[in-house]
Amino acid sequence: MEPFFIKAENISKYYQMGEVSVKALEDASFELLEGEFAVILGPSGSGKSTLLNIIGGMDVPTSGRAFLRDEEITGFSEKKLTEYRRNKVGFVFQFYNIMANLTARENIELAVEICKNPLDIDKIMESVGLLERKDHFPSQLSGGEQQRVAIARAIAKNPEILLCDEPTGALDYTTGVSILSLLRQVNKDFGITVAVITHNSAIAEMADKVIKMRSGRIVDIRTNEQPMDPERIEW
Amino acid sequence: MKKLDKRLWGLIKSTKGQFFAIAVVVAVGLMIFVSMGSAEINLQSALNDYYKLTNFSDLYVQVVKIPEKEIPVIGAKYNFSAAEGRVVSEVPMITDDENERVTVRVTSLSEEDKINSLYYIEGSPIKDKHHDVVMIQQFAEARGIRTRDEIRLQINGRQYKMTVKGIAASAEYIYLIESAQNMLPNESKFGVVYVSEEFAQKSFGFSGSANEITIKLNENQDSEIIEELIEDDFEDFGLKRIITKENQLSNRMISEELTQLKNMSSSIPILFLSIAGIVLIMMVSRMVKKDRISIGVLKALGYSSSQIIIHYVKYALSAGAVGVLLGTLFGTAVAGAMTKMYIDFFNLPLLRINVYPQYIIWSVAFAGIFCGISGVWGAKGILKIMPAESMRPEAPKTGKRILLERFRFFWHRLSFSWKLIIKNSFRNKKRMTFVLFGVALTCSLMVATISLVSSTLGLFDKHFTEFQKMDYNINFSTPLNEEVVKEIPHIIKTEHIEPKIEFPFELSNGLRKEVVNVIGIKKDTGFYSFTGLNGESIEVSGKGILLSENLANFLKIEKGGTIKIHSFIPERDDVYLTVENIIKQGLGMNAYMELTAMGDNLMENQLISGVYVDSRDPDLMKKLIKADHISTIQSSQDMLNVFQEFMGLTIMSIGFIVVMSGILGFSIVYNATVISIGEREMEFSSMRVLGFSKNQIFGIILRENMVITLFGILMGIPMGRYLGTAMGNMFSNEIYTLGITADIKSYILACGFTLLFIILSQLATYRKINKLNFLQALKNRVS
Ligand SMILES: Nc1ncnc2c1ncn2[C@@H]1O[C@H](COP(=O)(O)OP(=O)(O)OP(=O)(O)O)[C@@H](O)[C@H]1O
Ligand SMILES: [Mg+2]
Repeated sequence: MEPFFIKAENISKYYQMGEVSVKALEDASFELLEGEFAVILGPSGSGKSTLLNIIGGMDVPTSGRAFLRDEEITGFSEKKLTEYRRNKVGFVFQFYNIMANLTARENIELAVEICKNPLDIDKIMESVGLLERKDHFPSQLSGGEQQRVAIARAIAKNPEILLCDEPTGALDYTTGVSILSLLRQVNKDFGITVAVITHNSAIAEMADKVIKMRSGRIVDIRTNEQPMDPERIEW
Repeated sequence: MKKLDKRLWGLIKSTKGQFFAIAVVVAVGLMIFVSMGSAEINLQSALNDYYKLTNFSDLYVQVVKIPEKEIPVIGAKYNFSAAEGRVVSEVPMITDDENERVTVRVTSLSEEDKINSLYYIEGSPIKDKHHDVVMIQQFAEARGIRTRDEIRLQINGRQYKMTVKGIAASAEYIYLIESAQNMLPNESKFGVVYVSEEFAQKSFGFSGSANEITIKLNENQDSEIIEELIEDDFEDFGLKRIITKENQLSNRMISEELTQLKNMSSSIPILFLSIAGIVLIMMVSRMVKKDRISIGVLKALGYSSSQIIIHYVKYALSAGAVGVLLGTLFGTAVAGAMTKMYIDFFNLPLLRINVYPQYIIWSVAFAGIFCGISGVWGAKGILKIMPAESMRPEAPKTGKRILLERFRFFWHRLSFSWKLIIKNSFRNKKRMTFVLFGVALTCSLMVATISLVSSTLGLFDKHFTEFQKMDYNINFSTPLNEEVVKEIPHIIKTEHIEPKIEFPFELSNGLRKEVVNVIGIKKDTGFYSFTGLNGESIEVSGKGILLSENLANFLKIEKGGTIKIHSFIPERDDVYLTVENIIKQGLGMNAYMELTAMGDNLMENQLISGVYVDSRDPDLMKKLIKADHISTIQSSQDMLNVFQEFMGLTIMSIGFIVVMSGILGFSIVYNATVISIGEREMEFSSMRVLGFSKNQIFGIILRENMVITLFGILMGIPMGRYLGTAMGNMFSNEIYTLGITADIKSYILACGFTLLFIILSQLATYRKINKLNFLQALKNRVS
């Protein structure tokens, strides 16, 4: 058996809402291997974001443990969590969350500034196809281009894992495909482990691993022996 | 509206820091309004009543000698309400401590008692015309003298034993100082003693005559016109000086205090309320932006725009209401304390601490107007919110390059985080400008106050250690031959002694005229060092006359001009002299000449009127009191000591202004920062996800504000200097000239205080960063 890269062990997350307790996540366990491209599927409210946030060190579970290699993420202090996010994780959201008053390049610089071994910004911008647009402000970019900036910002930090929460949610079909291709390409070229949340089950075809969720539980984990090229998927 | 009101309470709770910061600014403004306003009314009404009760004089005419029977003649000629003659003269009072020099102004009481009646505190009026005196209250209290106590007066070389029959206050001496030169009262060293007319005339050799006339005008008479008219009538009796009520020393001191109170109580509250208003506008408009969706929903539910606007205006009014509550409460307390201070400072028997409810009503009105308008202004964005549109995400903000980026050379040398900080500082120009001015205002208030006060403190020190350096200033009762300079060292041990002539003259240039003491000194004097307006050192040469800067300004004359000098010695012709130079003098208004030149030009003979002495003789006072022909002895050290006592009060009032300005700066920067953090929640959340720590984000905000603060302080220094100079000019008079200091320490102190308050306000915002829930923020598209 290959050694795991990311491991979640019986993770549960409860929200106390007055009298009632909402079970956002219950007893979730899974593993990701280094360099894997994983897709998390599931209906709205099934706990996908909660799971991803816990792995990304943005949230802490009520019980259970998460590991990156032999380090227990769930045991980190506030300071260690910040360092973990800074150096090991790249995040991409549905809404691009890039700063309106900074140019594309400056948005990337912002992330690179604080981390230990960043990649070359221009090289990254070239690989996401934004080299010509590097001095543009977000308002001068299309949604897809803005999401590319967000992806470039996430990978420029040279993270070990890239976590994407519905990165194509706000984009049209073709642009969505190009973003997913980009993620896959990044995964291959830079060897970064990628986990993508999506509502679209067709995306599952391109993943190495597909995790299905329902009502806070992981209901299925499937490994694709031969993932498809995103361009060839029928959406 | 019930539910909306409940929401209002939640709104206040979730913004309690900002809410309170605004309320405090309103409170400070109203506190100043209520306290200074009430103190002013207390003082003004007590003063009016007192003047009316005692029939306070409108004009004082000082002459060499006038027969009493002439007074009613002049009085009838002008149809004055009343005119009385009196004998006024300063004499030493003998005390058990032989080294003490105490001066009393012996003043005769007219039988008619129509003008400047005394206000008896203890005892009764004079019965035994040859032995009874009435003593002024402050002096009696300072020396622990009671009725029936005996005092000894030295008049024309003779000692008189008198009994204190009564102790009284006088409207003429609400503020008891010997002369304008003293500036501060020294109540145990200078007093006023009232005697019968008979006693005064006999002991001073003024039988049937007077040397001062008090005049009460008719209601339709103008004192300045009368002043001009009567000059000729008194000319023959050796007119020395006419003093109007406005120029009467004690009255002028109180009037100045009243004017200051009036100015402060009308301007400062407006400043504070305006600032609170601007902060409220910023806050409310930010809240409306944040609540866009909820407002859209409310509108969709059928609430009208005005109903929703009222909801936000209520928020602004609540802040005003808390401000009114605190402001009027503290204001009333401070008004009491201030009036109490005036009771100690001024001897105004009718002064009482009163509470004026109308100030509370005005406070409510002012706060209501300022906060109400700000609320409406801030909430007017509600009108533009369309229910359907509001639920869609707002159009993305556009980014722009800032001007600084054009300076490529400079821009490329900045580190990335500094670029970010500078860009962000310029992002919201309105708010940046506001914070900039807020800091500048705070800093300028501090610079103005501290530098003005430190220069005032320096003024006395400089005057007595650099400008004039004698230990004692001794005046003779009659002019003496210069030879006495050789005799005095036989009486007391002296290190250095110089003769002087000091005599009052009326100096005029065209229509502008002023009575000042002209001082004649030796050419090579070791007691004075004069500096010109450009700092060059200047000596008296015997060719002309030197004028102090404030005198020259008052007469509107420049170096090289010709000045008319009118003598009060009867039958002397006017003399014209060239203004040789203009000198800097912080305290007092004088003219200086070379001793012999002054004797030749202005006096009738080569006599001197006194001497300056440096002496360490411990028994100097004792020895001199026994000596003949000595009228007054002024010790520079004594005057400095009085001043030192006064400093405590001054330091307290600077403290007050520094704290008030600090609160202002704190509130402005705190609110602007909290609003900015709220607006940038999404941005900071993204940064947290990228791995920025809370401290790094706080560091960015701190540095952003520090850049603005730095510019604010840089702006504040010249603004403060300007403000300080203006304030100095406002407070300057013929007694002292106030200016701002060039002493770097005051500026460092002022900037330090400003920085302190700004940093405190930043620390208070740290809580907001700490509480930032970045997961939550990232879930919402609209932040
Ligand atoms: N802060 C919170 N407080 C209370 N309940 C929460 C909170 N955050 C999430 N939940 C609940 O936890 C459950 C899982 O939420 P989560 O965001 O993980 O779902 P999701 O699968 O990402 O859904 P979506 O596809 O709509 O983004 C939901 O039922 C949600 O209501
Ligand atoms: Mg989600």
